[in-house]
Amino acid sequence: MSWTGLVWTLVRTDFKVRYHGSWGGFVWALAKPITMFVMLMAVFSFLFASDPTYKLNLIIGLFLWDFFAEGTKSGLGSLDAKRFLLTKARCPSWIIVVTSISNAVITLSVFIVIIIAFLILVGRAPSPTAAAWFLVYAFGLVLIVLGFSLASSALFLRYRDLNQVWDLMIQVGFFISPIIYPIQILPERFHIYLYLWAPTAVIEFSRAVLVRGVVPTLRGDAFLAAAVAASLLVGALVFRRLAPRAAEYL
Amino acid sequence: MSAIIEVRGVSKAFQIPTERRDTLREHVLGLFEPRQFQELQVLDGISFDVQPGEALGIMGRNGCGKSTLLKILCGIFPPDAGDVRTHAPITPILELGVGWNPELDAVDNVCLIGSVMGLSLAELRRRMGEILDFAELERFAHLKLKHYSSGMSARLAYAVAFAAVRDVLVLDEIFAVGDAGFKAKCEERFRGLHAAGHAVVLVSHDPRHISEFCDRAVLIDGGRIVHADTPSYVVQRYLALLAHAVPERRARSRLGPRSEPRATD
Repeated sequence: MSWTGLVWTLVRTDFKVRYHGSWGGFVWALAKPITMFVMLMAVFSFLFASDPTYKLNLIIGLFLWDFFAEGTKSGLGSLDAKRFLLTKARCPSWIIVVTSISNAVITLSVFIVIIIAFLILVGRAPSPTAAAWFLVYAFGLVLIVLGFSLASSALFLRYRDLNQVWDLMIQVGFFISPIIYPIQILPERFHIYLYLWAPTAVIEFSRAVLVRGVVPTLRGDAFLAAAVAASLLVGALVFRRLAPRAAEYL
Repeated sequence: MSAIIEVRGVSKAFQIPTERRDTLREHVLGLFEPRQFQELQVLDGISFDVQPGEALGIMGRNGCGKSTLLKILCGIFPPDAGDVRTHAPITPILELGVGWNPELDAVDNVCLIGSVMGLSLAELRRRMGEILDFAELERFAHLKLKHYSSGMSARLAYAVAFAAVRDVLVLDEIFAVGDAGFKAKCEERFRGLHAAGHAVVLVSHDPRHISEFCDRAVLIDGGRIVHADTPSYVVQRYLALLAHAVPERRARSRLGPRSEPRATD
């Protein structure tokens, strides 16, 4: 059976429910990180006035973080949110999880277009190589979110407070990731701990290629690739073990 | 003729804990207090075949495992043991309906559940008018399902399932909704599908439905098939089982209430 119709319908109806069926509603999705950017810039650009790239780094960090936070939250609750399908018909549950992050991916894609257009406008156009690396890092973040979503969506059916635990993690994670502060203000010996939190690597590497025009070291890329692989592997293993019995917990 | 559905030795049990733990907090706090589990054997070695074009009735008292069996047939629950082989797509209407998203209107919900049931979007768009007409809901096509009455939702469920049925139709408590006119329309559509060669698995407590619509029937009790015969014989055994169960229930109720376990941990 072809599932393309189901995938499209899930993406379209999720968009409709979330944004009340209009692109006007979608503006709200972009409004959140933009408002955050304006507020944080108003406060912290004074603190980091010596860094001319602070604003650019801030907006890149905020949008990537917003995708991570929104994507993981949607993914975690995806099977529970689609209980009306899972308990009444044979429905491939992995499709539900994959499509659940579609709204966050749409927002991220719009952001990528905006940020690259903005860089071109201000005369800091990234080279094609830099832009390609940025796309690779953004795609890596999508895969990390997907791996997390596969595992957490199945675990959430057994541990019903997992969403609250994750909300706390997101709150803490915002400050672990170097979004509002440059990572350089911390002693270098602490950097490794910050990089253990996957969004840190994606945010720092994206800034490196887009703002500084520097491609991270091979070691850095290998580390990120390993984080993506680990997230997908753990997600797939947990999902494969728990998802077949998902309907029994709904 | 080879069977369209083969069920071989299917068993299913649920582990009922002495204490429910649904959250991480409860699991962490109860780390040093291991729970006892009681096994609730819902199905125990069920085997039967459904032939192409055959209407099979399933009867049994409440809690005998009929709905669990249908969910296993439809691939919603995995069996603990045994094997279900389906050689054709199954269209289910379980527990008086299909799954609806209350925040979407009827058209989007039909697209969603129709896609799950295997209809292409082009086919759904082409047949949308027919589906809404059957459900008598054309006027409410763009009303969100949260504003529908339970009867309206159920009518839409039957309409989309009848439109989506490819080979096998699985029905739990057939035609238990709607007014007399809608029930008659469903029965007519059901006869049409059966006459056109669709196989049907039908669960019902209603002796008339089993006798009138089925070619063969099985009676389940205690998780096992206790009779597999003609519909009239199975109906007779089912009524006898109920007659025997009533004095038992009265005796139990004199002993005081008993809380029903939930079927999942």
